[in-house]
Amino acid sequence: MRVSDLTISYGGEPVLEGASLTVGDGRFVSLVGPSGSGKSSLLRAVIGLQRPLSGTIETKLARSQIGILFQDDALLPWKTARDNVALGLSLNGMERGKALAEAEAWLERLDLAGFGDRFPRHLSGGQRKRVALAQVLAMKPELILMDEPFASLDAIVGARIVKDVVALVEGQGISVLLVTHDLEEAISLSDEVCLLSQGPRAHIIQHYAVPIPRPRDPIHSRTHPAFAPLYERLWADLSREVDHRAEAA
Amino acid sequence: MMLPGPRYAWLRQLAAVAVLLAVWEAAGRADMLNPMYVPNPSRIGAALVDLFADGRIWPHLDATFTAALGGLALGIAVGIILGVVAALVPAIAELIEPVMSVLNAIPRVILAPLFVIWLGIGLASKVALSFILVAVLIFFTVFNGIRQVDRRLVERVITLGGSRWSLVRHVYLPSVAAWVLGNLKIAVGFAFTGACVGEFVAATRGLGYLLSFAQSTYNAALMFALILLILVVVLLIFAIAGRLEKYLLRWN
Ligand SMILES: Nc1ncnc2c1ncn2[C@@H]1O[C@H](COP(=O)(O)OP(=O)(O)O)[C@@H](O)[C@H]1O
Ligand SMILES: [Mg+2]
Repeated sequence: MRVSDLTISYGGEPVLEGASLTVGDGRFVSLVGPSGSGKSSLLRAVIGLQRPLSGTIETKLARSQIGILFQDDALLPWKTARDNVALGLSLNGMERGKALAEAEAWLERLDLAGFGDRFPRHLSGGQRKRVALAQVLAMKPELILMDEPFASLDAIVGARIVKDVVALVEGQGISVLLVTHDLEEAISLSDEVCLLSQGPRAHIIQHYAVPIPRPRDPIHSRTHPAFAPLYERLWADLSREVDHRAEAA
Repeated sequence: MMLPGPRYAWLRQLAAVAVLLAVWEAAGRADMLNPMYVPNPSRIGAALVDLFADGRIWPHLDATFTAALGGLALGIAVGIILGVVAALVPAIAELIEPVMSVLNAIPRVILAPLFVIWLGIGLASKVALSFILVAVLIFFTVFNGIRQVDRRLVERVITLGGSRWSLVRHVYLPSVAAWVLGNLKIAVGFAFTGACVGEFVAATRGLGYLLSFAQSTYNAALMFALILLILVVVLLIFAIAGRLEKYLLRWN
């Protein structure tokens, strides 16, 4: 999936200007930037919820092969966990009984065996996140777009889910474009980090390769020798960018 | 002998009512209350038993229930349809919303005499009053509800590959159902208000008609008995509506 020279505007000054990035097959790419820099807008453009002002989005994938994990879990409150997971499958033509069986299998894979009959309201935040994840994974996507999916979780629950997510996408060779404002999360999970400047007219400052080998453990990769230098470099570039802005203003 | 704790609240409430009735009865027998205005509880009870004993209450109950439930069903159906259409077609909303707002602002029971002139003193005018009370309530419930449907859920269904129809089926319909059910008790209350007021204004049958009969004959015992009966009937339907709501909205 390749995004080229993307500019997004909500009427006034563009929030994002000339952003380009590529997510290759099986690659895990992070887009890091301050709040309001247009990260969510970029993902919405990729999935077709937001029409860009200019620029192109190229992909060989069909719409149903791209999954999106929103910041909030966005589960239908009147459907049980199992029905929520089965929804995407039946919307794409799978027969209901088969979709429900498939959904149950995904719930089990995500440690939610026995929770299939619960409504979202009666699940914890972490469990809801897992249901949302099962919903997306059940579609067997080639690419998953993630919009700060772990931001709302407390540290311990979040760490466990992140670990499971990494194992699943690595195991199935799924490509990921993760949007986050957390530099450490970005480095520890990705093959490549794209640093976005402060908006409006946010642009991608630079792309950084992350030389930490796979398979990865998201916690251990933070103690990898390559982690700290990269982290400092990203910070320095981001601070320089913010200073530039301040001078220009 | 006071049983403490919230579990026995109903027992204490029952005891309080029993004491009140006993005092009331005693005061009445001691000629401290004018039975023209406040008949003894035993007289009220006797009037109530009378209504059922000779069976003459049934056609009246039947009339009121038919009017109320008919108005309720029609009002919910039309309220939903108009609410959905208005929420989806702005040009129609421009026409309907002002009318509904006016109907919402006035006490709609003032339309009762008009319905009698238009539809006669039979069932139709009572159904109409019930209907108008319920329809306006449901219209606003649905109209405002649809405009506030959670965008995130709409986008979730779209990004999972949902069509327009699946949006209606998986997002809009359940949302509408939830709002309507959430207002079901109020709607039931409105429906019975409409039926009884309609009968009170002009009718030959119904609980409202019996009330007006009791009024014109200064039969206070019958009046109290009827008020009690209507109370029980509405509470009963409330309980059913509550059960239904609890079951269908169990996800909430
Ligand atoms: N639907 C919208 N209409 C108008 N402005 C919007 C809309 N969505 C986002 N914005 C604005 O665009 C900017 C970028 O938003 P967003 O893409 O959500 O950033 P991020 O995800 O990086 O925090 C913000 O200033 C936000 O206020
Ligand atoms: Mg965002």
